[in-house]
Amino acid sequence: MIGAGVLSATDREPTDGEVVAQVLAGDAEAFGVVIRRYEAGLLRYATRMLGHPDAAADAVAEGLVRAYRHLATCRDPSRLKSWLYRIVGNRCRSHLARRSTSDLSLDDAPPIADPQDSEAATERAEQLAQVERALETLSPEKREAFLLKHVEGMSYEEMAQVTGERIPTLKMRVHRARAALLEALKEYE
Amino acid sequence: MTHIDPQLHRVLDGELPSDDLTPSQREQFAALQRAARLLADAPAASVAARVMTEVRRPRQSLGQRFAQWLTERHTVTIAVRPVWSLALAAALGAIAVIPARGPGPVLGEQEGIAQFVGRFPGAKSVEVVGSFTDWRPGAVVLRDDDHDGIWRASVVLPVGEHEYMFVVDGERWITDPLAGRYVDDGFGRQNALIFVRPLAR
Repeated sequence: MIGAGVLSATDREPTDGEVVAQVLAGDAEAFGVVIRRYEAGLLRYATRMLGHPDAAADAVAEGLVRAYRHLATCRDPSRLKSWLYRIVGNRCRSHLARRSTSDLSLDDAPPIADPQDSEAATERAEQLAQVERALETLSPEKREAFLLKHVEGMSYEEMAQVTGERIPTLKMRVHRARAALLEALKEYE
Repeated sequence: MTHIDPQLHRVLDGELPSDDLTPSQREQFAALQRAARLLADAPAASVAARVMTEVRRPRQSLGQRFAQWLTERHTVTIAVRPVWSLALAAALGAIAVIPARGPGPVLGEQEGIAQFVGRFPGAKSVEVVGSFTDWRPGAVVLRDDDHDGIWRASVVLPVGEHEYMFVVDGERWITDPLAGRYVDDGFGRQNALIFVRPLAR
């Protein structure tokens, strides 16, 4: 009898490398593990980069499909996360390049909390709207640097893998992004 | 522009504890942390179903295309890629003057022959991967029979534009420096482009 609830060696979550190998061996369904593992972070990152959840969903969906089709080119599956952020980041940059600044609208921002929500939730939504407006004033490079460092919690090494930039460049960018964000927050307070 | 003390940057980078911050630095620290926390909360609709629909959609493999090519009637068309060097020109010239023996391969109207040539002295293996191989290695292997460092392969491809890269010794991915046309690969590098077209009959 197999003891229920007892973890064996085979019960552990497969590593990214194992999942990639499984997909490349022909098990397309295994790509669902990749989606489950990274979708939330990628959607959060793209939403904050683009300022619009629909555009973010498009960027992430296109990025994940592209990642699946080019999975054999992922030379280091242990860095799958960085690779996926790189793909989605490039989709976001393409989207931002195509979109003129005149397209930016506060209508794109997620709605303020429903009046029936609690006071605390409403206040939080207002604070979020302020931060989003402030973030929108940053250049795409600074916005990306701040999001990867402080929202996605990446190290500078991981950020370098995602962006292809050198670490000193990224540190400078993060420093400038922090100062610019604080400045913009003052204006929106 | 708001000034941030280098010490605060080091705290924010996790290099120093926050204990020794001045009150004004502490205020800036809290404002940035609060902003990051708020931004981290971004509920969004899942795209899993959308992505898996695409993942499950069957794609015709190179082998399937080749099998289809073998079972269909074809007429001959030849497309020549921009010549890499005089050596290649000579090679192509030699190919052109060799009389046909028997019926030979017959290509469809929507197919052409792509020539891939690259100079990789000392390489042990060279292959081409691209949109036509689903970016998987192993389908198009180049040869350097005379060991002069120039590797070549010809392959039947559908008429149209294809992205590709060379893979040298199974690990070095190299953009063809002589392709002439390139496209961003979406990962921060560039793929070479080849346009295959049928020759006028």
